[in-house]
Amino acid sequence: MPRAIRGVLIECEPAIKSILVHIDSNELKNDAIIEDLDDTRLVVKEQMVKTLKSRLNEKLKETYRPEQPLEDSD
Amino acid sequence: MPPKRKAPAAQAGAAKAGRVSAMSTPGPATPRSLDSSVVSDGGDEDFDEDVTEAQVVREGLLEQEADEFVNKWDIKSNRFQSVNETKANDAASHLFRKRDFSHYELKPDHQNRPLWIEPNGTIVLERFSPQAEAATDFLITIAEPKSRPSLLHEYALTTHSLYAAVSVGLRPHDIINTLDRFLKTSLPEAVRRYIQDCTKSYGKVKLVLKNNKYFVESLDTEMLQKLLADDVIRATRVHGSSEITTTYAPTMGGLVIPGTQNAAGLHQANLKHANGGKPGEPGVGDAAAEQDVFAALNEEDDDDDKEAVHSFEISDSSVETVQKRCLDIGFPILEEYDFRNDNVNPNLEIDLRPNTQIRPYQEKSLSKMFGNGRAKSGIIVLPCGAGKTLVGITAACTIKKGVIVLCTSSMSVVQWRQEFLKWSNINPDDITIFTAESKNKFSGSTGIIVTTYSMVTNSRERSHDSKKMMDFLRSREWGLMLLDEVHVVPAEVFRRVISSIKSHSKLGLTATLLREDDKISHLNFLIGPKLYEANWMELSQQGHIAKVQCAEVWCPMPTEFYDEYLRANSHLKRTLYAMNPRKFQACQYLINYHESRGDKIIVFSDELYALKQYALKLKKVFIYGGTGQSERMQVLENFQHNPEVNTLFLSKIGDTSLDLPEATVLIQISSHFGSRRQEAQRLGRILRAKRRNDEGFNAFFYSLVSKDTQEMYYSSKRQAFLVDQGYAFKVITSLANLSETPDLAFATPQERRELLQKTLVENEKGPEQDAETDDLFGQSGRGRGRKKAGVRRIAGTLGELSGGQDMAYIEQNKAMNKGLTKKKKAETQNSFFKKMQREKDKLKGK
Amino acid sequence: MASAVPSSFMLSEYLEKLPGATFRKLYQQPSTAFAIFRRMLPPLAKVYVQALLYMSTPFSVKDLNVWVRPEGETASKRAIGILRSLHIVQVGQPDKTRPQEIQLTANFKRSLRLALEGGGSHNSFGVPSTLPVDPQIDIAFLDVWAGRIWQDILYYVVNSVPIRTDNRAGSSGYSAHGGPRAAVRELLLMGGLVQRRDGGAVQISEHGFNFLLQEANAQVWTLLLLWLEAADRSRAAGQPGTNLDNVEMLSFLFMLASLELGHAYDTSALTETRRNMLPALADFGLIYIDPRNRDQYFPTRLATTLTSSSSALRSVSASLDAATKKTPGDAGSLGTNPAATDENGGIVVETNYRLYAYTSSPLQIAILNLFSRLNMRWPNMVSARLTRESVREAIADGITANQIISYLAAHAHPQMVRQAAAKGTPVLPPTVVDQIRLWQLESERMRTTPGFLFKDFDSLDEYVDMSKYAEEIGVLVWKNDRRRIFFVSKVEQLRDWLRARKKGV
Repeated sequence: MPRAIRGVLIECEPAIKSILVHIDSNELKNDAIIEDLDDTRLVVKEQMVKTLKSRLNEKLKETYRPEQPLEDSD
Repeated sequence: MPPKRKAPAAQAGAAKAGRVSAMSTPGPATPRSLDSSVVSDGGDEDFDEDVTEAQVVREGLLEQEADEFVNKWDIKSNRFQSVNETKANDAASHLFRKRDFSHYELKPDHQNRPLWIEPNGTIVLERFSPQAEAATDFLITIAEPKSRPSLLHEYALTTHSLYAAVSVGLRPHDIINTLDRFLKTSLPEAVRRYIQDCTKSYGKVKLVLKNNKYFVESLDTEMLQKLLADDVIRATRVHGSSEITTTYAPTMGGLVIPGTQNAAGLHQANLKHANGGKPGEPGVGDAAAEQDVFAALNEEDDDDDKEAVHSFEISDSSVETVQKRCLDIGFPILEEYDFRNDNVNPNLEIDLRPNTQIRPYQEKSLSKMFGNGRAKSGIIVLPCGAGKTLVGITAACTIKKGVIVLCTSSMSVVQWRQEFLKWSNINPDDITIFTAESKNKFSGSTGIIVTTYSMVTNSRERSHDSKKMMDFLRSREWGLMLLDEVHVVPAEVFRRVISSIKSHSKLGLTATLLREDDKISHLNFLIGPKLYEANWMELSQQGHIAKVQCAEVWCPMPTEFYDEYLRANSHLKRTLYAMNPRKFQACQYLINYHESRGDKIIVFSDELYALKQYALKLKKVFIYGGTGQSERMQVLENFQHNPEVNTLFLSKIGDTSLDLPEATVLIQISSHFGSRRQEAQRLGRILRAKRRNDEGFNAFFYSLVSKDTQEMYYSSKRQAFLVDQGYAFKVITSLANLSETPDLAFATPQERRELLQKTLVENEKGPEQDAETDDLFGQSGRGRGRKKAGVRRIAGTLGELSGGQDMAYIEQNKAMNKGLTKKKKAETQNSFFKKMQREKDKLKGK
Repeated sequence: MASAVPSSFMLSEYLEKLPGATFRKLYQQPSTAFAIFRRMLPPLAKVYVQALLYMSTPFSVKDLNVWVRPEGETASKRAIGILRSLHIVQVGQPDKTRPQEIQLTANFKRSLRLALEGGGSHNSFGVPSTLPVDPQIDIAFLDVWAGRIWQDILYYVVNSVPIRTDNRAGSSGYSAHGGPRAAVRELLLMGGLVQRRDGGAVQISEHGFNFLLQEANAQVWTLLLLWLEAADRSRAAGQPGTNLDNVEMLSFLFMLASLELGHAYDTSALTETRRNMLPALADFGLIYIDPRNRDQYFPTRLATTLTSSSSALRSVSASLDAATKKTPGDAGSLGTNPAATDENGGIVVETNYRLYAYTSSPLQIAILNLFSRLNMRWPNMVSARLTRESVREAIADGITANQIISYLAAHAHPQMVRQAAAKGTPVLPPTVVDQIRLWQLESERMRTTPGFLFKDFDSLDEYVDMSKYAEEIGVLVWKNDRRRIFFVSKVEQLRDWLRARKKGV
């Protein structure tokens, strides 16, 4: 009898997947990821999707330049 | 959250000598030490020479005062913004907060006027207006360019820009009236008051070296009385001299800048026509008249009613005291050199060679310097490749007195001397160089000395010869001090240079008056105001500098690399995103592509490990701090003349002062954090491309960045300056045909894994620092001292290196470069050149 | 590109849903018959109506088809379909004695004839007021008035976007201005053009942005139909005071469309139902009522052009033009302050992401505020910047990168167009266009599909059969044969299948 596990399939670029795995193991005590499918796919717990999304955005913030204040264009 | 600022700071900070200074707020991503004890910015330069504790304290104080001064005159301060203006209030007003000026009344003919202004001094210029040219000339004189893309430009009125404006002879009513004339709306009261307030104190007092005596000079006797009422200043006055003497203001009169149209005997269109200012309300629409106004603004009236100038003499030793005191009490002092009336210092036999024509923008910049027939100290900003050297040489040919030229590297020293000999008729014996290798005085009564900042500021460990040479430099009075690349030299170095060497006028030259800290503002007081700043896009459109296509190439990181990246510390992160195999492949692809088109390519990498790995794997020559002088020369010569050597890998030591007009393509694989200056400097390496005027020629500037890493953030920050100059960076998310590249490196997962393992093992103990920093052809006078510092800074890394594989690579490279000798013998031991030779033979055989 | 307005909003769809009896009532009014004829019919359908109008007997469909070339058959069928759905024609069932016949419905025929010939005492086209008219209420006055009302409505839709930075929220902004009446705001909310967010603030919806992209005429109809639907619903719910009959409402709207701009009409000549509609119509800016003389009403350009255009939707860019630019003679020409509108108009987009919009219109400024950071404003120009954050916020609001790009392209300053033509380059800087798209992509970096992961199969057969079945019923999202695992979006059928299989075994 196969097992059926409720979850959310996440499809993304490899880098994003890496970050998600990193977040799961370092910040969420491996509590989010149900199954690591391949380089671009993960199955995660439904209730953790929101957390993962916000942590991911947090991580990605170091990859772009924050908005510059308008008064000073430099 | 932006990338943590502390991380790079900690890294660079460790490399700094501790020093106390009054720091202004650091810019983001500017490496700083954690204890804020760093003086120099960045990490590009290491001007941490030996100075006494007292000197440091004094410098700190001076800097603090300059800061205070700058803040006091900030236009945003309440002093100027308190004026109540009726606020607009329609449905959209709240979206602008305080920046809604829609209640300003448009002038009836506003469509023919090119400017808008906001009370805080931001000016928007409509470049397609019929009056745009005249307005641009005006703005570049009175305001700071902020954004110059294509149709609408932005400028900002600042204390410094107004300081510069009055220093070139504009008067408050000239500025106010002309500004008002160009505005679509009437001039806001706050701006009017700001201009009046600033100009009231700026440029009213001049420091003049006349007959080798220092005079404090003003058009206004009351001003002098005010100064003499000050205890400090009064004490500096030379006793026995008359209280205040009155003479007549000089005019540009017969002064002709060599190389200009005037010099060529053409009509003096740009310098004649007095009647400047035109107070009142002259009509708009007469573009020709506008042009004349600006020409005229540069000089005093030259008709009968010559203006009286008043002055009092101060002692030589008190010059700095007076300058400092005048700054304190709000009357910054201007320096001018009446060189034509200097009968004490001998004249230098120098002129531009006949047929040397300087370009219009060079002339424009010099006319700012010599506007009233005297030499004004200041800074001229021209992009790399736009002929800064010729501007300096022309200035020297105008003043015709002793000149001291200060450069950032000993190679630059050689280049400057060569340029002098090329463009002017100076007797080769009259121009000598002072470097670690060469310490010759000129034989005649006067001449030109070319040296480096470090030679004249490094006081410790000076050889006997050097000491003698320094004494010689100190004992003389120089007509002109040319300061090259002023943007990379810390303010403290200028202070030391300027206080030890006496010159009548100073001209700073730079490509980008841009630093990640705000030290630039202090240059205004150390050297002088910015006299001119060229528009990059305009020079490029006119063919003076190359047109450049800029691209940012996104290179995704393979999963295993990215996993390591996420785990890595900040050093290793940098190495990993440089060693990203996809980036490597992109680099390989671009090199193949451009070499096949006949381009010459420079690849820049700050990351030394990556620099070597790339160069060795791709079998290309490279130069970094550890490369010896003769080897460097050989590599460069081959890059320039050998059709087999088309790609050169350079560490950051090649950022400045490297003149390689053969290069047409630049690829950046690793760079210094978010340094906008480095980005501009590197772009400068290809702006003077020899082929720039070929039909449809474009130079190429590629920045390779690893996707989803901090490098993306740094990259966009780095581009900010160039983007505001109108450069557009195309994002390339994937290179077409990349996978079809023959012999693509790291094509298999196995190879990529091996690369990762090797990278991790070899970088376990932290990165290697570039031994040399700013000086491509280093080993100069301060080389020894610096190397010592280097060892201290990187705490043992050199030792580790020697044990690692790196040494082997270095050896290999040396061998490779040895293969670059002119007689390429068949029996050369180097496999690279053997192969090259074989291929050559093969081609011949065909 | 912007998707079309939700079709239920469109007039034709609304009408087609009405029962035949409603049409019979509607067509009692010559003005309605005429308006529907003018506005709702494609040219071929109009030709058919004109041909049938004065025929005393039904016409054979076969004969009608003789007029049609083979290639026009589809168009012909479509035209007849529309005429039938609007209950303008009746098509009989063919039988042995008679061929299939087509004729106009009686009421429509009679009313359209009356409309075209005049006569009768139906007052269907309004009764001009005999009272003296205030000379100040001229066409210019009405244009300004209606323009302000309409811009207020649009502005409300745009500006319902939450103020993003805290320091901007300081000034009261919109409320000080007045804005549309509460009833109109309710209508916009109900129609989904704006939506209420957590915390009670309203915010533009994707529909709302599309609404902005419509031409003015379509916008007016969108709002009127929302109003009709609201009336229908409250009548169905038996709410008191909602005696507005949709036939009356519709025919009054069609009547307004036939009135003369700048003329005063007699309020007392209207039925009570119609008189009750007047305040709402004034709220929409369709009519003006002089507060000092309530016996007169003046149709505005918004009303008189209601049926003048046969086009339903323009292209996105043209719609944006219509929504925000001055085009004389169009209902959309009602700018808030035509005098201050710079003739040059247009937006300059620079390679350093700075925008300079030559405008004084709060509406256009508010639209810019949807996707850029406003910076400074002068009487005839606004400066702003496109930033990653501003674009991503717009995308989060349902505005697409393409909509932003189209908007900027459609409003490009003439100098941009000239420069591009001279250099042979695109009008908008390609790097900026690319970047806007990249910003959109950036916000879509993680796709999620809820469902179930199947693993730990007993046998290869079980895996193969089950994954095959999952694929057949279209629930399989991903599978890996080597690892024998798969992911499905739904589980119910698989569970049944599995049970059945167990039983079978």
